Formats: sequence, structure tokens, C-alpha cells
Amino acid sequence: MSESKKSPAGIDPRGPRFGAAITSVLLLVTVFLALDAATLPAAFALLIAITALFLWGAIFGPAKHPYGFIFKKLVRPALKAPTELEDPRAPQFAQGVGFFVAAVGLVLYAVGIEDGLVYAAAAAFVAAFLNAVFAFCLGCQIYIGLKRVGVIRSA
Amino acid sequence: MSPELRIILVLALLAVATAAGLLWKTKTGRSKQVSGGEVIDLAEIAAVKDGKPVTRFGKRVTFLQFSSEFCTQCRQTARLFDELEQVHSDVLHIEVDITNRLDLASKFNILQTPTTLVLDSKGRVTSRIGGAVKAQTIQNELGSFEI
Repeated sequence: MSESKKSPAGIDPRGPRFGAAITSVLLLVTVFLALDAATLPAAFALLIAITALFLWGAIFGPAKHPYGFIFKKLVRPALKAPTELEDPRAPQFAQGVGFFVAAVGLVLYAVGIEDGLVYAAAAAFVAAFLNAVFAFCLGCQIYIGLKRVGVIRSA
Repeated sequence: MSPELRIILVLALLAVATAAGLLWKTKTGRSKQVSGGEVIDLAEIAAVKDGKPVTRFGKRVTFLQFSSEFCTQCRQTARLFDELEQVHSDVLHIEVDITNRLDLASKFNILQTPTTLVLDSKGRVTSRIGGAVKAQTIQNELGSFEI
């Protein structure tokens, strides 16, 4: 067993959920825009921005994410101290999954399968919404499953 | 597509996501009885507690928790069991990280973490809890092992 890996410092779990709430609103707007041919390019542009934000979170982690800064500066001061801290790698993993799903939507759109964008945005929305509202944890739900089918290899 | 129809579709998506969330919330952390459960081999799962290999089961009940990387709820669940152990000396909590033990993940068919197996004093699996464990669920499990 290799359990000697050091866990990074814990973060307030409400931070990533706050970010997920913003993300889910943006994704819902993306879906709305993507449903009409006239606003589909706007949906594409918005999803590019969301994908970039996912990538940022996946690489630098939730604490260094723009939403993380907003949370720290504006939201957290108004809240009570957190009852427990969260390992930032869990939301970071979720950001990576979000990036993958959103990027698939962008690629499908770019190669002419324009319907792919709305489906990808809808799927990413569901995950972000569940995270924001129900504290659904993607790392808990799908990480082991993905590893078992070999999508993720051991680092 | 008309704006009305688009709004209806967006609201439908919101409703589906909410329904999925509520369903997940009610199903997660619930205990399911296992009939004819197997006896856990402590050596096979390489259970370690406080740096030492675990060689015996709890006198009353053992909670065998499978955890993984990237799992926030595993920590919460582990803390609940730790508190329980402080109160009841005949309760044992073992946590096994299956991130690099995919053999165990497939043997016990684990898709989500935490997944907790409830073992009787002989190490036989009597029930299984998928997802973050609720305090009430533990109390119920404990009650079924009343001596």
C-alpha cells in the first residue's frame, strides 16, 4: 500500500461548490443559446470560455481558480468557519472531467456535428448542478469506475 | 426554435437534474442486506490500522470502508466511524484505499467510494453501504448487532 502520499492543505468545501454554482448557470445559458441556430455561435464562444476555466481549475486547482478568488474575497467572509476542510484534489479531478466533457462538445461543433455542443453542455451542466446543490462528488462516484475500465491509468 | 420552447427545454433539463439529485440523495448511504456474504480475508485486503496490520475483527461489528483518491466523502465517512470507535470498544473501523488495489475493486464490485462492508464478529459480510454513510445508518447497523 502506498498511502504515504502527502495530502495538500485542505480547502473550504463550499468554495468549489460556489464555483460549480456559477459554472452551472453559465452552462444552462450555453444550452439555451445552443438550442437556436442564430445563437449557436454565441453558445460556442461561451463554452470556449467555460472550457478554459475548467482547464484552469484542472491544472492549478480550485484555490487558484478565479471563482476561488471571488469566493475567498466576497463570499467566505460572510460565512461561518467551515466545519471541515476538503482535499483540493477531489474538486480538481472534477474540473478535469468537466474540461473533458466541454472540450468534446467544442470539438464536435468544430468538425460540423453541431448538436454535440448542446449535449455536452447539458451533461456538464448536470454534473456541475449536482455538485453545487447536492454536494455530489464526481471523484467519489466515477474515479474508481474509470480506473477499473482502464480510462485512467495509475500515475 | 422559439424562445418559449427553448425556455421549456432548459427548465426540463433543470427538472431532470433536480430529480437525479434527489434520487441520488435518497439512495446514497443506505445499507443493503447481503445474504450469504463471504468472510473477509484480512491478509488479502492488506488492512492496516495505525501503521499495523489488522489481524482480528471487531468483537461486535467491523466496518470495512473502501476509499480512494479524490474522494471527499471518504474522509467524512471515516470521521464518523472514528467517533463511533471512540465510544464503542467492540466496534472496529478499517479503511482500505483501493486507488491502487483494482483487484479489490473488481472483487467487491466497487464503483463508488466510499463503499462500506459491515462485517459480523467472524468477519462475514452482512450488509453493504454505498456512498457517504449517515450517522443514523450506522446506529441502525449497530443496533442489529446488539449483544
